[in-house]
Amino acid sequence: MMVSVSGGKGGTGKSTVAVNLAALLSRDLRLVLADLDVENPNDHILLGAELAGERPVNIMLPFVNYQKCIKCGACGRVCDTGAMLISPDGLPYVIPRLCSGCRSCYFACPVDAIVEGKRTIGYTYLSELELGESKITLVTGSLREGEEHTPPVVLAARRRALSVEADLHLVDTSAGTSNSVAAAVDGSRLLIAVTEPTPLGLHDLDLILEMAQTLGIEAWVVINRAGIGPEDDHVRLVRERGAEIVARIPYSRRVVESYIRGVPIVLHRPDSPEAEEFRRLAEMVRGVVS
Amino acid sequence: MGTVKVGLAVEDDSGLDSRVSSRFGRAPYLAIVELEDGEIGGVRVVENPGASARSGAGIKAVQRLLEEGVRVAVAGAFGPNAMTALEELGIETVELAGVSVEEALQRIRTKLQGQ
Repeated sequence: MMVSVSGGKGGTGKSTVAVNLAALLSRDLRLVLADLDVENPNDHILLGAELAGERPVNIMLPFVNYQKCIKCGACGRVCDTGAMLISPDGLPYVIPRLCSGCRSCYFACPVDAIVEGKRTIGYTYLSELELGESKITLVTGSLREGEEHTPPVVLAARRRALSVEADLHLVDTSAGTSNSVAAAVDGSRLLIAVTEPTPLGLHDLDLILEMAQTLGIEAWVVINRAGIGPEDDHVRLVRERGAEIVARIPYSRRVVESYIRGVPIVLHRPDSPEAEEFRRLAEMVRGVVS
Repeated sequence: MGTVKVGLAVEDDSGLDSRVSSRFGRAPYLAIVELEDGEIGGVRVVENPGASARSGAGIKAVQRLLEEGVRVAVAGAFGPNAMTALEELGIETVELAGVSVEEALQRIRTKLQGQ
């Protein structure tokens, strides 16, 4: 079964919720945590783990055989990302950073002058780690610096995570509601939307709940940093969207301390009220999984 | 000095009165001006395909200017992709914004006389 942690806004605590749930649920479930926030993967940092088992993520990169090229410009016309620039003399030039590897130019060329090359845009990792008494498998996707096409890396890391047999695949997504987030959560039994009591938290919560509705995924809402602002509008919005607020993590210095130590708070300070709230949430998720 | 074509990224479709845009790739329109021996021969305003592009806006704007045979590009600022392409293609860039097309051409006249 797949359960996703998302939330729309950046910095709301998606990864904090994901690693604490992973630490608790792995005590009696075989658990894979998939960090699909490929522009900024940090679950391994929050878990004090090293990335291991690196594999490249390659996409197609077109090269032009200028001896075959008839300067028809077909490749430039079909290119959706502006990666194929037709010069005044009619010859195409490839701008690699803009290319998404979609192969349209390859299929459009009437004289087979486009040669298939490849380019590494990111990596996936697989780390086996021990958390207190339990073990988890962490799969991480990481986009190379300077690259902008995230979906191939998200999908490669997702595939790698799903290839590991488990009772629960827990997916941690990036911020936003882009196609990368939709691709990450697709097929989930449940989406846990982490938000915070701020106007921006509210705005982005609306977007992620709409996305969950569109994809037909049941959504639960976790309010992180509870206590820093009013939640009335959040309560109203969640009701309108047919979702439910299931947990409120208090705003606390202890959460920050565990973050800095790279130990989930449920292990670092199991006696804290924050850890208690995570245990309650984990029990609810366990109820869905079993 | 003959005929030189200048492409200006502009905010509106008002001929020589169009305002030069602060951005190149995402400007709504491109004004194509023909200069004959330094005198304005004609102006056409066309839609900038970069304005509605999901990505690679700068390159799409460059491509449109290339189709027009432009030798000089004018905008408030050029993005890194557009700048690289324009430099590679030997198209001169002028950074200037907030004035009309006509004013912009007057300001860069000396530069254009070197063409």
